[in-house]
Amino acid sequence: MSLWVDRFRPKTLDDLHYHQGLSSRLKSLAASGDFPHMLFYGPSGAGKKTRISCTLRQLFGSGVEKLKIDQRVFVSPSRRKIEINLVQSNFHIEITPSEAGNYDRVIIQELLKEIAQTQQVDLNAKQRFKVVIINEADSLSRDAQAALRRTMEKYMSNLRIILCANSTSRLIAPIKSRCLLMRVAAPTSTEMQTVLEHVAKKLKFDLPPEASLRIVEDAAGNMRKALLIFEALKMQSPDLTGPLTIAKPDWETYCHKVADLIVQEQSPARVMEVRAKFYELLSHCIPPTIILKTVAERVVERVDEALKADVMHWAAFYELRMRMGNKKIFHLEAWVVKVMCLYKHFTYNFDMSDFE
Amino acid sequence: MPSAKTKTAKPATKDLRAFFTGAQPGPSQQRRVEPAPKKDKSKDDAFVVIDSDEKVQIPEEDEDTCADEEEPPKKRKKAAPAALYEPNPKPQAEPKSNASPKKAPAPAPAPAGKAFNWAAAKAAKLAGPPAPGSKDVPQPSAPDCLLGLSFVFTGELSSFSRDEAVDLAKRFGGRVTGQPSSKTSYVVLGDNAGPSKLAALKKHGLKTLSEDEFLELIGTRVGPGGPGGAQLDEKTRKKMEKEEEAIKKAAKELERRENKEMKEKAGSSQLWTTRYAPQSLKEICGNKGQVEKLQQWLHDWPASLKSGFKKPGKSGANIFRAILITGSPGIGKTTSAHLCAKLEGFTPIELNASDARSKKLVESGMNINNMSLDGWMGGNHATNSLGVAITKKSCLIMDEVDGMSAGDRGGVVALNALIKKTKIPIICIANDAGAQKLKPLKGNTFNLPFRKPDAATIRSRMLSIAYKEKMKLPANVVDQLIGGAQSDIRQVLNMLSTWRLSSETMSFDESKELAKVNEKNTILTPFDVTNKMLGPYMFSHTARETLGDKMEMYFHDHSFVPLFIQENYLKTQPARIRDLNGPPQTLKHLQLMYQAASSISDADLVDALIHGPEQHWTLMPLHAVCSTVRPASFLYGGGMGYGGPGAMSFPQWLGQNSKQGKLTRQLGDVQIRMRLKVSGDKTEIRHSYIPALFPYIVKPLVDNGSLAVDQVIERMDEYYLSREDWDTIVELGVDQNKDDTVLKKISAATKSSFTKKYNANEHPIPFHKRTDLNKSPKKLAGGPTPDLEEVFDAEDEVLEVSDAENKRGNEDDVSADKLIQAPKAKKGKASTQPKGRAK
Repeated sequence: MSLWVDRFRPKTLDDLHYHQGLSSRLKSLAASGDFPHMLFYGPSGAGKKTRISCTLRQLFGSGVEKLKIDQRVFVSPSRRKIEINLVQSNFHIEITPSEAGNYDRVIIQELLKEIAQTQQVDLNAKQRFKVVIINEADSLSRDAQAALRRTMEKYMSNLRIILCANSTSRLIAPIKSRCLLMRVAAPTSTEMQTVLEHVAKKLKFDLPPEASLRIVEDAAGNMRKALLIFEALKMQSPDLTGPLTIAKPDWETYCHKVADLIVQEQSPARVMEVRAKFYELLSHCIPPTIILKTVAERVVERVDEALKADVMHWAAFYELRMRMGNKKIFHLEAWVVKVMCLYKHFTYNFDMSDFE
Repeated sequence: MPSAKTKTAKPATKDLRAFFTGAQPGPSQQRRVEPAPKKDKSKDDAFVVIDSDEKVQIPEEDEDTCADEEEPPKKRKKAAPAALYEPNPKPQAEPKSNASPKKAPAPAPAPAGKAFNWAAAKAAKLAGPPAPGSKDVPQPSAPDCLLGLSFVFTGELSSFSRDEAVDLAKRFGGRVTGQPSSKTSYVVLGDNAGPSKLAALKKHGLKTLSEDEFLELIGTRVGPGGPGGAQLDEKTRKKMEKEEEAIKKAAKELERRENKEMKEKAGSSQLWTTRYAPQSLKEICGNKGQVEKLQQWLHDWPASLKSGFKKPGKSGANIFRAILITGSPGIGKTTSAHLCAKLEGFTPIELNASDARSKKLVESGMNINNMSLDGWMGGNHATNSLGVAITKKSCLIMDEVDGMSAGDRGGVVALNALIKKTKIPIICIANDAGAQKLKPLKGNTFNLPFRKPDAATIRSRMLSIAYKEKMKLPANVVDQLIGGAQSDIRQVLNMLSTWRLSSETMSFDESKELAKVNEKNTILTPFDVTNKMLGPYMFSHTARETLGDKMEMYFHDHSFVPLFIQENYLKTQPARIRDLNGPPQTLKHLQLMYQAASSISDADLVDALIHGPEQHWTLMPLHAVCSTVRPASFLYGGGMGYGGPGAMSFPQWLGQNSKQGKLTRQLGDVQIRMRLKVSGDKTEIRHSYIPALFPYIVKPLVDNGSLAVDQVIERMDEYYLSREDWDTIVELGVDQNKDDTVLKKISAATKSSFTKKYNANEHPIPFHKRTDLNKSPKKLAGGPTPDLEEVFDAEDEVLEVSDAENKRGNEDDVSADKLIQAPKAKKGKASTQPKGRAK
């Protein structure tokens, strides 16, 4: 049995529970025959990918659900081999260029041209064009985005591109202007509750409203997370009544531990301890921004009112630097030292005034 | 009165700075410039303004200051000693040889110097922190006034840096050692003296000096050159006289030899290195034992050859057919080899890096069997293919073996093969004993490492050569040159021969300058650089390193040094908070840490620009400052070393980064396998799915042991996860899900039954990895015929997936059934595939 989140994933635009306006727009777009390039953006767990696959199904019929995975090898100009996984059906192809790191431009150039220059061979196909889905479009390098620009116009007859991103801020303006922007907002709590109830109904059990409220609160607008928590809870206590404790994922508890370390003691030795923990999180594939966010939120909970704004300010400051720089840990550490510095100054000042 | 005081104090500091730094800017200026190199210019201007003020006040000082600040470095060199000797010009005019003791003029400045010192010390105290250059060096009565004394310095002096103090002692003829022993005459104590040295000091009951006393000693002590020459005991004097004799004798011998040569071939002008090359074993400086071994081996060669290299002999060298001499350049390796060969009656055939030494040439060019008839047939002048004369008794010297490189492919291996069957002795010479390239030779050769001879061994030879060339050099000057060249005899000779062209004497300062100009570019390891940068001396107030010098440290290894600094910058006991206590200290410490950390963060942004798509390599100096110099300037101090609890460590970043890369790749594999079921990207898989899947595919194994295996495998198949992916999922856990803790909880029996069961069954596969297919990936690699490849893959892959889907086909809606048609037609083909899943 798959997890509920995968089992009850909507397959058509009609099945979708929220953002009805968006669904109907997508439907009419698919019917119009003049399908534009699109850019789906929104927070993770909002349903971007689900919407994209529903739209594809609307466009091409159930054929798009026959997925296969293929691996292609590209050769970079420096003779390095880059392996790229393609998920494709007869009508569309899905790539994640960020797999290639700095060489994503090569993928965009070679693969897109190749696809664009061949026409749809299946005469029974509903549409004359093929669709390329580009995942994690916001991590495309500048070069790759530039490579995309002209391709999008030149091969319009054979090819539509659907970009999928968390935020549009890292996409260059020319790309944005060539796409129809589709914002998939995080569902509201009532919307999420409807979905949870729908799942409960399908599984033929009752979901107490308090439990659903707890889940929705904890998921913070992430539908995927909500469903996963739901399933975990159901496994924990089958009747879903009484006091529910939602188990946090491993990395989150670990981040909280780091935050506690920062608040407990401020010394060079402690900074190095925190550094070791950061290394562990980073090497276990937790993105640095998430680490900073989780730790900072926890630290803010723990410190005095007067410090909260500063802690967040510096978190934002170093988050930007992390995105611009190479070695994330350096910025994380600078933030930690800054917070320690602030905290110590605050406590000493506090003590001093107490004595006076 | 106070005005007079300042007047005298000022020129003193000026003098001293000129005295020490030569071309370098004054220390106070340098410190101000550090944090923001951009402001450099304005600060410079400010400095000049101060100078001009001075000009107005003290007209007689005018020339000196001007010379200091504006003249090109070459002239400045001369200005500096002049400033020192000006008040008492006699010592300079006096010949500096220690052998000719002459009456020194009555030392007038002693009392004056003392009074002056007090004033300066008081001024320094008033100013708060000890000021660099606050004390004057008193006028010594004789240039070698400290001769016969040995000093140990410990702690930080208030006015001089360690190097300068050591220089001072050496300049006036003293000896400086690192550790106190019973032979030490004085220990000069500064602030924060090392405890081990203090202990040794007590043990030996040594006399101690403060900085002022040390200066006073220079000012008042009358060396052997003075009227109180009796200070030097009889023994030392005898020794010195004897040395003198030896030098003269050796020089005469050289002269005699040269005259003879001149007669043979008139008017040959050779380099000093050839002219004064040793002609007997006695003349070789250092490595006596090794040279003897070499000679013995050559001497025994015929006997060894006869016995088939069975008898090891005294040194154990006689079982080898070749000798490998290793050691740094200029210490007489080639000379020794040639000399020994000649003395033992072998004709040396030398091949060095200027000859091509490829496999073929090595094999064909050498008469290793010593069987050539060329010597008979062609008379006396027959040569082999390399143009080297062949005689009956030859010896092959392979010089610069580690220089056998690209052009000499297979050279070392061929040489090694040659050594195994040679019938003539082979001497290989190389610089780096640890070189990878020399590994094949190690087993077949007798290793003869040559060490750098110390200054004492080279000194007398250098002095006799200088004497012969009519140069007047004191011993400490020669020592300085030898030290500067790091015992490279050849370099010392070359330096002397060039110097001789312009002048016959050389002062201590000149020798220092010359050694610095000829300084070899040594590369420090990142460990040494870190130790220096974060150590207590580099940024201390007495340090004389300029910003440029500090940046130079970064360029010793620009990729590693920043990482080392980042790894270790928190391990010091910062010198800047030494005087604070309690909360202010903690706060200041955190403050400094923050400044350092934020500077490192800045550096990373610069690094991103350097290594980014635009490659702004011109930003390297900025990176040097941000990543290395600035952080170190905040947190420098003691406490970090090679051992102990706060020991310097290798940057974790490298290991952690590669681990991150590896796990990210594995996570990518997991993600792409799950992709058919799951819409999330890699991060989502790590964030949500791995914690969610954990209770289904790992926990049961912990709780229920092998009973749960089937259930777990079923769940994994659902998501197309393989056994390796299971490992990845476990490995990715942190905290309570950390792989170590989890794997410990699963019994070995469970694990093995899990693996066994997993391998016994067949599992759905979403796709084949390129590497899994039994075809060379080269053929498939993004070739010019992608279409063909596409078709081929399409057949394969569609089958896999549709098969997998057939399994759970009941759930699929009608639309899925429609498409089953196509794969069914190809079913026959599918069964022939070894990896296809037929269920």
